Amino acid sequence: MEFISKHKKWIFTLLILCCAAIAGLTLNRAKFSVLENAFGFVIVPIQNFNTSVSGWLKSKINIITNLNDIENENIALKAELENKTELENKVKLLERENEKLNELLETDSKYGNYPTISAKIIAKDPGNWYDNFTIDKGSKDGLEKNMVVLAAGGLVGRIKECGLFYSKVVSLIDDSDSVSSKSLRTDDIGFVRGDLSQKNLCRMDYIDNDAEIIEGDEIITSHLSEIYPPGITIGYVKEIKPDTNTLTKVAIIEPTVDFKHLENVLVITHSYEKTNISTVPEDETSESTADSEG
Amino acid sequence: MRWFITALILIINLILQSTLFEYIAIIGIKPNTALIIVVCTAFMRGENEGVITGAFAGFLQDSFFGMFIGLHMFLYMVTGYLCGKFLSGFYKESIIIPVLITLISTFCYEFLFYIFSILLRGYTNFPYFLSTIILPEMVYSAIFSLLLYRLLYKINMWLEEKYKYRRKVF
Repeated sequence: MEFISKHKKWIFTLLILCCAAIAGLTLNRAKFSVLENAFGFVIVPIQNFNTSVSGWLKSKINIITNLNDIENENIALKAELENKTELENKVKLLERENEKLNELLETDSKYGNYPTISAKIIAKDPGNWYDNFTIDKGSKDGLEKNMVVLAAGGLVGRIKECGLFYSKVVSLIDDSDSVSSKSLRTDDIGFVRGDLSQKNLCRMDYIDNDAEIIEGDEIITSHLSEIYPPGITIGYVKEIKPDTNTLTKVAIIEPTVDFKHLENVLVITHSYEKTNISTVPEDETSESTADSEG
Repeated sequence: MRWFITALILIINLILQSTLFEYIAIIGIKPNTALIIVVCTAFMRGENEGVITGAFAGFLQDSFFGMFIGLHMFLYMVTGYLCGKFLSGFYKESIIIPVLITLISTFCYEFLFYIFSILLRGYTNFPYFLSTIILPEMVYSAIFSLLLYRLLYKINMWLEEKYKYRRKVF
């Protein structure tokens, strides 16, 4: 104990250097250490319990306070449902037609069904700057680093690190990633990343100056990305302005996912990166390889 | 015993912060209670314990939510050290001093976080972040520190009474 108080400053400096060393070591890893897994083993069940209980309480309180609105909402939803069934039939017809045409053209469906598992968000970042969260599935359930996380209607982010019982997810609006993306209508390519100075919005950089992108266009992930599979909705264009530095356009994008009220997410359970590499040699036709590259 | 209780407080705090605090957020801002605990420990017990408490709190937060381990650890450690070094001489029973210390240290912590994490990404409009994140968090944390400091003070007194004749001071 005397030793500590004697060499206080050196120990403090050493600790700070340790911080830097750990930061360097853990910057780009895929798996958690034993210590973190041990913490996870203790903390995750409690967090899980807490989130479930508070979510349940919140829903009960909501029911009590919004009892009057619920009836009106029910009527509106029923009307909407009727429209939806009609639409569904139409979609089925179109799908069948699409299949037939695809058979004629001998190409695979571009937007395949990705195998997903659902996961629950158990905890959110306690800080106020970022919106990272942890989910209750880990490498035990077959998750890996860089798997893509979705929620109803759009892209949420990707798995940053994977523990045994839980995984860290970085969300799209956190400016930690750029997602290669394009506009659905005009096929203009750009890079979407979060914007910290505009909470809950993203910006799409490096759009060509001649691009005919307009407000309200749907933005989806492009086929150029190494991590993200193509065809996942990101959001809609809210505003377009020129970027004076690079002579390109910048679009402000409103994500389709409501990041504030996320509770459950879907994780695509195989790394798109890997399948791309492994399926290409198996496909014997030269057309399909050309298609996946193009 | 003291270490065990401090660690337990920090773990419980992390669980509460990451799950329930979402519901008490005002304009999307949550109070940083981990920082309050680190600062109050440093204030009551001096810089040694401030540094160690800060390192543990930062490690916990980093291992669950950080981009990498080390950033929060470093910031909590520095804040704990500075608080213990320069502010631990104040009168401990006052109500207003912990609030002021929380205000100052939250500002220092968030300012350092801005420099190390946000500014390096190219966000240079500090006044925007000051008004939307740092100032509300300072106020909210200060209100929380009123309650939390009394609790931590009671625990500290209880421990001190219990280990009066056995504890080795360092």
